[in-house]
Amino acid sequence: MITRRALLSNGAKVAVGTVYCGSLVSFLTGCNSDDDNIKIEVLPGGLMVVDPVLCVGCRRCEIACSWSHGKSAVSPNTARIKVVKNLNFGPHGVQDNYHQQRGEEGDGTIVPETCRQCNVCMAACPQQAISIDEATGARVVDEELCIGCGYCAENCPQQVITIDKLTEKALKCDLCQGKPNCAEVCPTGAIKFYTWEEAVAEVEHHEKYLKLI
Amino acid sequence: MNTEFGGWAGYVLRVDLTNNIIKKESTNKYHNYIGGMGIGYKVLWDNHKDGIKATDEGNRLIISAGPLSGSGAICSARTTITSRSPVIRQHLITDGHFGGHFSPELKYAGYDAIIIEGKSPTPVWLKIIDDEVTLEPADTIWGKGMFDTFAAVAKMMGQQAQVAAIGPAGENLVSQSTIQTQGGHSAGGHGAVLGSKQLKAIGVIGSGVVNVVANNEQLRKLDDHILGIIGANNQGVVPHQPQTWAEYSSSISRWRGGPGVKWGAADNPVDVGETPWNDRQKVGMRTSMAEMYFGREEANKIFKRPSGCHSCPIRCFCEVKNPKMKTEYKLPTDNISNTCMGFLDPWYVMGLPGNSEKRTDIQTVGAYHMDNYGVWSAYGQLSHIMREFITRDFWKELLPAQEFAAINWQQQKDLDAHFMEDFYTRLAFGLQYNGSNILGRFLGKGVHEFINEEGELYNIQDVLNGVETPRMAKLSFNLESDAAYGLLGKTYSVFLDKGVKVFNRSMVGGTHHASETAGQVGALLNTVFNRDPQCHSHINLVNCGLPYGKISEVADKMWGAGAFDPVKHYKPMNIAKAKFAKWCLVKNVLHDSLTLCNWMFPLIVSPDAKKDYQGDSSIESQMFSLVTGIQTSEQELDDKAEGILQLHRALSVLQMQEMDQRNQHDVLTEWVYDLDPDKVFGDEGTIKMGREDMQLGLDLFYAEMGWDRETGTPTRATLEKFKLGYVADKLESLGLLPA
Repeated sequence: MITRRALLSNGAKVAVGTVYCGSLVSFLTGCNSDDDNIKIEVLPGGLMVVDPVLCVGCRRCEIACSWSHGKSAVSPNTARIKVVKNLNFGPHGVQDNYHQQRGEEGDGTIVPETCRQCNVCMAACPQQAISIDEATGARVVDEELCIGCGYCAENCPQQVITIDKLTEKALKCDLCQGKPNCAEVCPTGAIKFYTWEEAVAEVEHHEKYLKLI
Repeated sequence: MNTEFGGWAGYVLRVDLTNNIIKKESTNKYHNYIGGMGIGYKVLWDNHKDGIKATDEGNRLIISAGPLSGSGAICSARTTITSRSPVIRQHLITDGHFGGHFSPELKYAGYDAIIIEGKSPTPVWLKIIDDEVTLEPADTIWGKGMFDTFAAVAKMMGQQAQVAAIGPAGENLVSQSTIQTQGGHSAGGHGAVLGSKQLKAIGVIGSGVVNVVANNEQLRKLDDHILGIIGANNQGVVPHQPQTWAEYSSSISRWRGGPGVKWGAADNPVDVGETPWNDRQKVGMRTSMAEMYFGREEANKIFKRPSGCHSCPIRCFCEVKNPKMKTEYKLPTDNISNTCMGFLDPWYVMGLPGNSEKRTDIQTVGAYHMDNYGVWSAYGQLSHIMREFITRDFWKELLPAQEFAAINWQQQKDLDAHFMEDFYTRLAFGLQYNGSNILGRFLGKGVHEFINEEGELYNIQDVLNGVETPRMAKLSFNLESDAAYGLLGKTYSVFLDKGVKVFNRSMVGGTHHASETAGQVGALLNTVFNRDPQCHSHINLVNCGLPYGKISEVADKMWGAGAFDPVKHYKPMNIAKAKFAKWCLVKNVLHDSLTLCNWMFPLIVSPDAKKDYQGDSSIESQMFSLVTGIQTSEQELDDKAEGILQLHRALSVLQMQEMDQRNQHDVLTEWVYDLDPDKVFGDEGTIKMGREDMQLGLDLFYAEMGWDRETGTPTRATLEKFKLGYVADKLESLGLLPA
């Protein structure tokens, strides 16, 4: 069940049912909605999207994400944005025609994955450890409640949640309290924070790169 | 994991291929040698064996990361590979390097270095997934090209694996071969070492972390500081063409991204536009240097985007799409990623044609074959010889008639890139090539095997056949242009021929940023290492694009008055230049040990007019302190690096069994002094060096380094100053320490 409680635009609530039908939110978040006619309220905030045309594969976003969360320990595994998985061979892994696919060993296109702040992880969590940050709209993990069971990671449509090996807690994009470190360090402006309204075209663009070619 | 300090992963892997024994040992004992190259030199010193060849079972090869790799510090993803090299006379120690994403992954798996020992009885590859380290049969990948090898290993391990491998050239024990990672990231000279050990590839997946002692605020603060100083590739700090925000521009700068530059082959073409130095979200666009290799018109058609290494915002690699690679040259891809020599070597072979579609085809098709086979050019030396011998019509004399007739020379004359496939196949397959293949076996072996002390060629087939006393090739200087040098009709020597660019007699590698950019400073840098020095410490100042007055102001402040002369107008040697040369080498060794990119660092100038274009030479120590938690000043860190440089020199002495480095190692070739016969050293317009002046250069440089003036070998006092007393003891016991 997808819910967005408020979208603030020009200080007023938007009539969400007319602009944000269920299928559109489903498209934006990358997770399935079982009812296109559902009444949807939209939260403030939005989501991070990467433009694969501009991404140059430096992984400074991964690094900055690691830096900005807890004790400084750098790794793609502790980063909440995932570049390395698709870096060399694209979103579909090593295909026989890898030369024709995405990735550094393919056509050179790098397709990072970002959290789209859907509710799947929240719904999957048996501990109710994931909740909505009212200020940013981010789904955030309460470390006190998280037991590291990994259901959220297993169900994540973008596969951007990992369980920290040391702390056994889920690591998930929290939008850095509205000032995402990853976007700030991107040297080409490839990763940006978009409001739900702005994100439509960007997500559509990104989706093209997630397909086998 | 290392819990005491940040940075280091904590363990070194020792892989004994002969006995299939894999051990972990602590990195702690290498901390004084920083990491990277420092670990490599230390391991080779500790395990030294007299007189062995690079491809002998007893030779070791070290693949190493430094404490900064994987930490996220800017430009910190270099990997150093250290071993004896078959491309070098006496198979002396060299270090090669590649970028990419390999060393960070190695760190995340928990290792700072891998020491490869022995020789496997059958082809294997090394699989590293955190603590699970195994040797796997390589039957299915032995013989594969580089790209298919990366794919096959990643398919077996998981798509996120970072893979280093050799191509057919390394397997076939071709001396001029690479170890590569992720396409065009190549380390030169050691492919055959892995080939001799029957180790085809190393795949790594790490699920751990690199601990960093500092917090996000401190790291972002340093990041911001660096981004206020860093320029484009080779620290170009002004744009190549005028831009509205810039006070200066310079054709020498690699800050190519600007108005008119396009990523034209991108799915949605990008107009780069102005790239103001303080626009943090255009830092990755400012280098965009495909036009350096292809010209603006061609680059705008084929350049897709820049790329490069983990943690680097500068992006010196060029992702290029040339549809003709598939349609006309029948390659499996029309994409190629490379920088510098990957594109330039094929161009050198074909005679340096101007920017055109033909040049584009040569460089993209040539880069594909070179990389897929894992061929190395010794910084262009191989391709310079190929081209020069064509110009001189030597191949007809050197090759059997049947082989000469079988080579399609017309393609080379026509600038037809189809020539590339056969050329690089000959190089990579050596004896396996169908036919006599004297050309490929000669060029692939390293020129030092084929010349006498005067640089004159032996009969190539005699050498290849192992004849104990080979005949001479009987080649003569035969070009009209040789007459000006008084060489016409005289016995041909690679040391006398400026066209093949062998700069140093013992290295016999291509010249690399020597007298052509920094006079005696560059020349001195080309005396110390055993291959081309791969040093950019000076280039990152000299080629920054600022006016001469600004650069010399910085140089004077750093090393004293007269440290840097205008290019092609060199004044006599002085102490400031010796200090400059030493500083360059110390910083170079520091970077290859940290492991940080010496193609960008040091940053002693900046694009910021408000800073009066000043940079900060202490950034490396700031990074090291924040990452490791060990507060270290610039001088303290430089001292550690200098210790590694001293160890390198001592190891060269030990491997050569020769104390007289001055006359047996640090000797430049004749053309360096005899260039431009109508000019004398010091005239405006020439890069020629002066024989007496270079001897003074060595005197002053040795004095700065603490090396004995007569021999150029480190003294006991110098070695002890850097905690290398054990090195002095060993050299002394062998009669190799100056009195």
